[in-house]
Amino acid sequence: MRLFITLFSSVLFLCSCGHGNRQADGRLDRTAASVYTASRFRIDDFQRFKRLTVIDPWQNSSGNELVYYLVPHNVLLPDSISESQVVRVPVRRIVCMSTTHTAMLRALDAEGIIVGVSGTGLVYDSLILDAVASGRIPDVGYESNLDKELIVSLKPDLLMAYGVGASSAEYLRKLTEMGVKVMYNADYLEEHPLARCEWIKVFGLLTGMEGKADSLFREVTAAYFSLADEVRTGVKERPDVLLGAPWEDVWYISPANSYIGRLISDAGGRYLFDDLTEQNSVPYAVEAVFRRATEADLWLNPGTAESLNDIAIADHRMTKLPVFESGGIWNNRNRMTSSGGNDYWEGAVVHPDLLLRDIVSILHPELLPGYRQLYYRRLQ
Amino acid sequence: MSGKTSLLSLRLIMTGLFLLMILLFVADLLLGSTHLAAGDVIKSLFGHGTPHGEIIVMQFRLPKALTAIIAGAAMSISGLLMQTLFRNPLAGPDVLGVSSGAGLGVALTVLTITPLFSFTQGSPLQDWSLILAAWAGAGAVMMIIMAVSARMRDIMTVLIVGLLLASAISAVVSLLQYFSNEAMLKTYVIWTMGNLGNMSYTQIRTLTAATLTGMVLAFVMIKPLNAMLMGETFSRTVGVNMKMTRIILLASASILAGSVTAFCGPLAFIGVAVPHITRIIFGTTDHRTLMPGVALSGAVILLISDMLSTLPGGGQIIPVNTVTSLIGIPVVLWIIIGRTGLGRKF
Repeated sequence: MRLFITLFSSVLFLCSCGHGNRQADGRLDRTAASVYTASRFRIDDFQRFKRLTVIDPWQNSSGNELVYYLVPHNVLLPDSISESQVVRVPVRRIVCMSTTHTAMLRALDAEGIIVGVSGTGLVYDSLILDAVASGRIPDVGYESNLDKELIVSLKPDLLMAYGVGASSAEYLRKLTEMGVKVMYNADYLEEHPLARCEWIKVFGLLTGMEGKADSLFREVTAAYFSLADEVRTGVKERPDVLLGAPWEDVWYISPANSYIGRLISDAGGRYLFDDLTEQNSVPYAVEAVFRRATEADLWLNPGTAESLNDIAIADHRMTKLPVFESGGIWNNRNRMTSSGGNDYWEGAVVHPDLLLRDIVSILHPELLPGYRQLYYRRLQ
Repeated sequence: MSGKTSLLSLRLIMTGLFLLMILLFVADLLLGSTHLAAGDVIKSLFGHGTPHGEIIVMQFRLPKALTAIIAGAAMSISGLLMQTLFRNPLAGPDVLGVSSGAGLGVALTVLTITPLFSFTQGSPLQDWSLILAAWAGAGAVMMIIMAVSARMRDIMTVLIVGLLLASAISAVVSLLQYFSNEAMLKTYVIWTMGNLGNMSYTQIRTLTAATLTGMVLAFVMIKPLNAMLMGETFSRTVGVNMKMTRIILLASASILAGSVTAFCGPLAFIGVAVPHITRIIFGTTDHRTLMPGVALSGAVILLISDMLSTLPGGGQIIPVNTVTSLIGIPVVLWIIIGRTGLGRKF
């Protein structure tokens, strides 16, 4: 029943968004589309304002589009656009539900507009942590435990959210009813690291720093491709890479077209499950993964393991893998705070070029002699 | 229903069930989630296989199949004891919150005590501390249920109390989770998923020792259990010490459910469903037949569930808890709606 209510309300929510979109579409003329690789958002320029369309903002969503009009403060609202879809820009007060959002604002030097963050314990950036410590940025809670009263009292111009499933719409809808403007961010669903980074353009539009966001994205893209090209021409053998960690009987396997799958491929590696092309992670039997893993030359992102011993304790059978014996296991926990903030999920999202450099240096140390990894650390 | 089936046919069914268990055990070894030729599996069992084949058979498949047998038998006997003890067809470790109680014990150990004694990680000491905590948790819930059953005859009321206990416990566990760190939390979350696979032989030995203790207690109580089916007054007249019997049955059921839950997580619906399936197979309520019958059926059903979990093919799996729920829930529904007429009360 609860599932039904959730689904029904999200359908209602989406219908109302779609309706406004059609109304607007008929009267306004589209002039430019300026999105490069991201598949989950689209920006249309209407001269006096911009239209942002967020496409399928949660897992397993298909055919859902959320439309937002980003209108400068001094521009009069055209009649065709409903107030509920309008975000006045530049945004002066924002609540961020994810560390990828804070990272993008930080990259634009716009962290000053952050007035609330969900899960301050998971923040890595020291400037934002200072603001949290001084009480300037409060923790607004998470998911169903959101402190809605606090959020309303912060008077944000915008709350940047993400949807894990359609059910996320439920508690966000409540916030909308309370007068908080909510925007869905689907960056975590982007398959390519550059596409995820490209969401900085959305933050550029919101903060009035379009130019800065564009040039930052251009620089990152250029650096990423130049390294990827270097790898393509310089690499003869592609080492086999294992990813993730077992959860007792189950090993969730990321598909080849995932964020990390793309990074491994661009870094000159061969992902052991490069034949898997699902949309989401797939549960595999540990036995089946073990069998393939015997081929692995390197093992990346082994869950929360900090040492080889952690892996042995979690599943003693993994110690029999050749990659365990050779010590080719690297975790992505080099830049962490004691409370669990990890820059891999924060700063690295804005710098896929640096992330790629890390992985290239692990897979092909000969290409980057003397390089010291930023996000990755070899397990001892 | 007792008396309908002759002794000979009971023996035949029991032998058949035993052979089926052996057959499924062998099948579970042969059919893993990856392809391994039958010859390779047999060679590996005797230490003459390929290095990786040997690891897959000896470290993945054999421990899993052994655990399925032990856990299936133990959970089912625990369920049978609870159903007779509480005179409630819907009693079972997971249904009445006993697994949750064991889980609270595990949560307390994993989330609060273990971090203080990190040197015990991965050692038998840690295994035993988990088991003891699970026993204590399961026993505590069992005692509350017993106290309620003594006052409330209505089995639905007892069931609701069990559900309430389970929710209360999950609230306490959430509170514990709130105050624990990422790694501890992960250990606990993994545990709640239920598993048969990731067991070392030391752990299997520990689990066997613990469940055998529970099973011996259960088998000793077969006569009083049969007397209890005839009602408390009858039991007293034939000289059963009810207080002692209750304590031993409670201890046995807690040890069985607690030990399995400590290692394999909350295995859903095995405990409540298997005794009913066994009663149908044997057509009797006599515990002399039911006790070994339930143990064999439990092992058989968990072995089948384990094999079904690899159905998606290509190495992909369904968590074993999902499979046991799919088998168990229809049985529970059938008890509620059909057979006992409980549904008519509403």
